[in-house]
Amino acid sequence: MRIFLKRLAGMLVVLVGVVLLLFIMLRIIPGSPVTTLLGERASQQVIDRMTEELGLNDPLFMQFLRYVGNALHGDFGTSYKLNRPVSALIMSAFPNTVRLSIFAALFAWGVGIIAGIISAICKNQQRFRLLSSLIDRLFMGGALVGVSMPVFMTCLFLQYFLAYRVQLFPLSGFDQPLSVVLPAIALGWNSAGTVARMTRSSLLEVMQADYISTARAKGRGSAGIILCHALKNSMLPVVTMMALQISSMLSGAVITETVFGINGIGRLAVTAIQSRDMPLLQGTVIFTTILVMLGNLAADTLYSVLDPRIRREG
Amino acid sequence: MKKNLCLLLVGALACSMLAACGGGTTSTSAPPASASSETTSPKTLRKPMVADISTMDVQHTSKDYEVPMNVFDRLFEIKVDDSGAASLVNNLCQEYTVSEDGLTYDFALVEGVTFSNGDPLTANDVKYTFERMLKDPLCVNTEAVDPILGADALLAGEADELEGIVITDDAHFSITLAAPDASFLYKLATPACSIYNAAVTEAAGDQFGIDPAVTIGTGPYVVDSWEVNTAITLSRNENYWGELPDVEKVIVSVIPDPSTQSMMFQNGELDLLDLDYLDSSVVNSTYKTQYADNLIYGNRLAITYMSMNQNIEPFNDVRVRKAVQMAIDRQALLDAVYSGDGNVEDGIFPRGLVGHNPDLEGTITYDPEGAKALLAEAGYADGFTMQFDADNSASSSVMLLYQIIQQQLAEVGITVKINSMDESSWLDLRSSGDMNSFIGTWTADYNDPDNFIYTFFGNEEKTTLRSLNYPDTEVMQRVADARAIVDTDERLAEYADLEYKIVIEDAAWVPLFSRQHLFAVGDNVESFIPFWAGYGDIIYRDVTLKS
Amino acid sequence: MEEKKMDLSQSQQEDLASQIGDENGVKDTLLELLLHNKLAVFSAVVILIIALAAIFAPVVAPYSFEEIDPMARLSPPSATHILGTDELGRDVFSRLIYGSRLSLLVGILPTLVSMFIGVVLGLVSGYFGGKVDYVIMRLADIMLAFPSLLLAMVVMYTLGSSTINIFVALALINWASVARVVRSHTLSLKESEYVEAARSIGVSSGIIMLRHVLPNCVPSLIVLFTLNVPSAILSESSLSFLGIGAQRPAASWGLMVTDGQQFLFNQPWLCLAPCVAIMIVVLAFNFLGDGLRDVLDPYMKNQ
Repeated sequence: MRIFLKRLAGMLVVLVGVVLLLFIMLRIIPGSPVTTLLGERASQQVIDRMTEELGLNDPLFMQFLRYVGNALHGDFGTSYKLNRPVSALIMSAFPNTVRLSIFAALFAWGVGIIAGIISAICKNQQRFRLLSSLIDRLFMGGALVGVSMPVFMTCLFLQYFLAYRVQLFPLSGFDQPLSVVLPAIALGWNSAGTVARMTRSSLLEVMQADYISTARAKGRGSAGIILCHALKNSMLPVVTMMALQISSMLSGAVITETVFGINGIGRLAVTAIQSRDMPLLQGTVIFTTILVMLGNLAADTLYSVLDPRIRREG
Repeated sequence: MKKNLCLLLVGALACSMLAACGGGTTSTSAPPASASSETTSPKTLRKPMVADISTMDVQHTSKDYEVPMNVFDRLFEIKVDDSGAASLVNNLCQEYTVSEDGLTYDFALVEGVTFSNGDPLTANDVKYTFERMLKDPLCVNTEAVDPILGADALLAGEADELEGIVITDDAHFSITLAAPDASFLYKLATPACSIYNAAVTEAAGDQFGIDPAVTIGTGPYVVDSWEVNTAITLSRNENYWGELPDVEKVIVSVIPDPSTQSMMFQNGELDLLDLDYLDSSVVNSTYKTQYADNLIYGNRLAITYMSMNQNIEPFNDVRVRKAVQMAIDRQALLDAVYSGDGNVEDGIFPRGLVGHNPDLEGTITYDPEGAKALLAEAGYADGFTMQFDADNSASSSVMLLYQIIQQQLAEVGITVKINSMDESSWLDLRSSGDMNSFIGTWTADYNDPDNFIYTFFGNEEKTTLRSLNYPDTEVMQRVADARAIVDTDERLAEYADLEYKIVIEDAAWVPLFSRQHLFAVGDNVESFIPFWAGYGDIIYRDVTLKS
Repeated sequence: MEEKKMDLSQSQQEDLASQIGDENGVKDTLLELLLHNKLAVFSAVVILIIALAAIFAPVVAPYSFEEIDPMARLSPPSATHILGTDELGRDVFSRLIYGSRLSLLVGILPTLVSMFIGVVLGLVSGYFGGKVDYVIMRLADIMLAFPSLLLAMVVMYTLGSSTINIFVALALINWASVARVVRSHTLSLKESEYVEAARSIGVSSGIIMLRHVLPNCVPSLIVLFTLNVPSAILSESSLSFLGIGAQRPAASWGLMVTDGQQFLFNQPWLCLAPCVAIMIVVLAFNFLGDGLRDVLDPYMKNQ
């Protein structure tokens, strides 16, 4: 518990650093966001008036204090582009990103763990060596291909084949029940590969352990061993990694949400960059960073809770 | 502990199986519901937009006109007749008279007009609307009301009311200008001059234009809902004071990716597609062949030009500018990039615009040999190096324009470097007056030559903002003065003179072409008239659907 | 896209560090062992071929990457254009080759820079400890807290979208994980006898770090390098795909995919070719990285 609180305190320090760093990075840009905001038809007089109205003439330090002060009250400013409070925009987009990520994770874990198990069984199989080894290599090759595929490629091809050529799923949007399927697969694709590789190597490692050898000596079959003993002991790194993958999911969601036109956090960030919407970009990045930090915290906590060795040491 | 882990694992497996099963059942179910249409459902128009709009308050935007144009009315509007000619017609204005000096306009409003919440339209609403354009610091469009007497004072915060507007009674008011402005009524027809409900707008504060419930207009449509980054839904205003439009419901979905839009249109999930966002070769290979009967061609009152910055050597030499005009094969450009859907232009005022001078057509000819001779005369026999500054948010077609011009100029010895940057930096650089050379397109806000020539050559500030740095202040003064010429023929003659001087004699820019605007409509669309100036914004009442 | 990097949680990184730290004769056997892994060798050859093609692009590529031909737009693969032409009539194969320059450079250069930053900060942090350590590690925490693609996007927003700025963005975002690994190595080696011995005879800190600590980090740095390169390549192509990376008319694989997606129906090669190219390079680096990890990680070696 003390470790947990200590980590939480460390997180706060990091969070303040993140906000400060982000704030500085977003303000040292050349050019004013007002120019893009108003478009090519605005006169200089109107531009000046708007700059003043947005408080962009104040010293940077003042702007930062004001921002932090407001942020503590849950006010992250108003989006230039969408004219709404940033917090409200994030809250409207967050459920979509969560839904997308959950389904993507289910896909990744389901496919990844099963593929990893099959692969590990095959690798450890004594009979049908050639076939088993082939299956193992096939699965692991597939997993590596999955890891190596750019997210946008998966998105484009799924969309093209399963929504356009074969009209099984909607091409865009998030309003129909089936809308989530393609984006979730696209987003989970990479992680599925990682999970599969991790599950396999973790399983293989555990199977080298003494008690498995003992079980094997007692004459229980390879498959039985895996399901009974090895699996639950090998899941530790896999479960930990799943929490860590929140970060990569959020990164991947930027592209998935853009291609499939989903109003999620990643889309908001892209919108913000394209329209030079500083408050919105700031808000979305801080929000996702908090999510990632919570994910990392969860991973570490899980690790220490699940691994008796670490618990004892702590 | 182990138990927990097992549970977790079993849970994950079960979920993944469920997901897999879910995937299985989907493959047998029917394709997306959009294909089926019930007879009882309202006549619905489904169209995309590439990015969500910023606001429905047209005074706060210079880009997102579509929703305001359908939700609000203006005093006047531009109507396209069957021959394709656009003319100014009364809308909320019943009738008007102009004083002889061209300074004072008396207006009478149409009687019985109500806002969608039932409030009657009064002259006070008009006054409120125009004053708000100048008073609200977030308003970006002041151009239309700038000519009104007292506008400067209100903009500077030195007055509380707009001196030039006088209300006689609920239905009558007059507007006095600071100086005669021949295009004033056209300006009143621009989207920016949409008339608001004074009481509701004032009460709504910053929610006006954001919250559909308080964004009230007199127009033929009302906004039902606006889901950010997802869709805007509108329905017909059943209490509309004019003739009820045919389309009962409109769904405007945010679909950022044009190729997704195209796939959705082909799958029947969209009824109307703006082909501007697609590459012209896709339009050629797919839409002009498989969807030839579904294409709608609209005129575009817009000129595409190539700028030359006269502050940068060697563009300070008129012979060099002239040579560049002659070195570019504009017809080949139009054919290669836009498959010839448009016309080569030789001036400032494109076809369809009041003041377009047909005599100018063909004045600038493609003559690489002549261009080389001129360059040699100017001391650049070996050519020179110049730079294009490109806005990377522009379409690939514009990029192609840059590259073809690059090749064409290489043939007369001019080496072109293409430097692309993001939109914001691009706008900043251009406004600073230091941009090298770029390709731009200007589309009419209102059908008057002033909207074009004044924007680029109206005064020193204007010509710097576009990085043209046209030096002739005398000519620019004439451009500004032309606004006040009351006699139409005399005024158009002056514009023709100025156009000749600026483009042909001074070669201040390279006029390239005007293009047509292509749309694809679904099989359920009976008719559709694109916006008169060629914007991508759709006036929903100009669409009729088959029943 | 960064899961390769994120795979290594802090504790695992430390595991890796301690395992490799003990291995001393690893350098001699490295090449030998690696040669047993056919896939890794094959991958190395593929990377080498692509690198050679990138270096000698003007010689290898049949056309220039920006040479447009309005008459030959969207022509299908043929003898004159092996992979056809794009919407501007540019040779896709030539663009792929020139694009490999950007992809390899963007994979390798920023990764090297970020490794350099990471090594320096990690050594300093681990060796001196105390406040220096605290500040550097919190800084690393801050960098690791950002989802990497978003951080790259923010840097691109700040610097403006251009090809050169991608290098800066990618160099800035990847150093933190390197610093962590190097720091934990340093921590474990600091207490070792020979470092203590060196210190006792008055060898300066800088020389101890360079001579005694750094060489022991090399194996895990090599693994990290082969893991970070493909992730940098993927980041670049993602940024370019979103329009905030490389700028037209530069040849970038991500940009080629964006431009090609409209033509998926009639001219699928426009989109497919760069996608496959990205996959091959990333896959090759991943295989190579796997092979190296197998060799360098005594654990896997036993299997």
